[in-house]
Amino acid sequence: MIVTPSILNKQKNDFTIIDVRSIEERNKFPLIGLESIISPYGNRIDLSGQKVLVCQFGIVTEGIIIEQNIKDAYSLLGGAQAWIEYCKENEDLSRWSRQTVLPEIGIQGQKKLLESKVSIIGMGGLGCPAAQSLAIAGVGNLKLIDNDIISLSNLHRQPLYTFDDVGREKVFVAKSKLEGLNPEVNIEVDNSFFDNKNGEELLSNTDIIIDATDNFKSREIIDQVSKKLNIPMIYGGLFRYEGQVSILNVNGSLGYKELFPNPRTKEEDSCVDAGVLGMIPGIIGNIQALEAVKLIVGINKNLIGKLLIYDGMNHQTQVIQL
Amino acid sequence: MILIKVKCFSQVKYALGVDELSLRLDDNSTINDLEKIIREKAGNKLKNVSLRIALNQKYLTEDIILREGDEVVFIPPVQGG
Repeated sequence: MIVTPSILNKQKNDFTIIDVRSIEERNKFPLIGLESIISPYGNRIDLSGQKVLVCQFGIVTEGIIIEQNIKDAYSLLGGAQAWIEYCKENEDLSRWSRQTVLPEIGIQGQKKLLESKVSIIGMGGLGCPAAQSLAIAGVGNLKLIDNDIISLSNLHRQPLYTFDDVGREKVFVAKSKLEGLNPEVNIEVDNSFFDNKNGEELLSNTDIIIDATDNFKSREIIDQVSKKLNIPMIYGGLFRYEGQVSILNVNGSLGYKELFPNPRTKEEDSCVDAGVLGMIPGIIGNIQALEAVKLIVGINKNLIGKLLIYDGMNHQTQVIQL
Repeated sequence: MILIKVKCFSQVKYALGVDELSLRLDDNSTINDLEKIIREKAGNKLKNVSLRIALNQKYLTEDIILREGDEVVFIPPVQGG
């Protein structure tokens, strides 16, 4: 027996949905909007009640139902592939109506956001607000890269984490919180330390890189990878009440290496020693997210070839032409 | 003599203790001359801090002669995130 994506969508609460695919397929093609249990191909399925089995193309599950003689079981016609197509065709964009009404965004812009992928390196002060804003704006795919764990002193400026999360790995907690904000966003996480050995692999297949790191070395590596893979880098940096943002490496525009050829500062100028008020990373991380959205949608007024400097103490800004 | 304005951000602001300052410089003073003056005013506080420069909101990579009314921003790299 088979069930079509349309019928499954209408009656999904009447079925237990069983995903028989491999972990690679599940990660690459998630069943958006479906609560499923996992029973990889080869396992015996002996659940009672009405159930729908899902494989990648709807062929394997038809065979499983016949071979195992499973009662009250349906195969999803066309499998996960058909479900994803069905979801795309029947997307309810009303969730984003307050931003799609903006003429520069519109439905076409929202669709671009839904199909885009943004990678964020560093899930700290800048990464948290940037990821939060991108997820709720409907960016369809996010990749979060950080090997850090949550500490008590992070909580005043990293709003994705709570007291109970202290000691847990940032990327996994962030993924879970962001999925709560927008269950339809596909979030990949990697808890590796970003360096020049894994940088290229971690950032391949992404549309935009958000630099939310906290040191010069990481920024220089991101810059190299951004240039090599021809992927824009949205740089953000903080000092006390101030921040900087720029979109680097777009069609020959300056990169981090050209902007700061030999960056040097005093050891005590990091957030740890110099201090930072939580609202400043909130503002700067959100400006990075704003620039990402503008790039994806195709809004030409942006920070390509410009450096924004913002001082939260006296609200002075400078936009420097690079 | 010419009068120019320096807008101060991050380490420069904290080293000099002001958001901006106006300076009278000799005619034909250059950006490099100005940077020396700023570093002298800061004492040791800008030692080991690299500075990039913007003149009238344009990023500058070479030394040029300053003119009356110019606005200069010294841009230190910031590493927090």
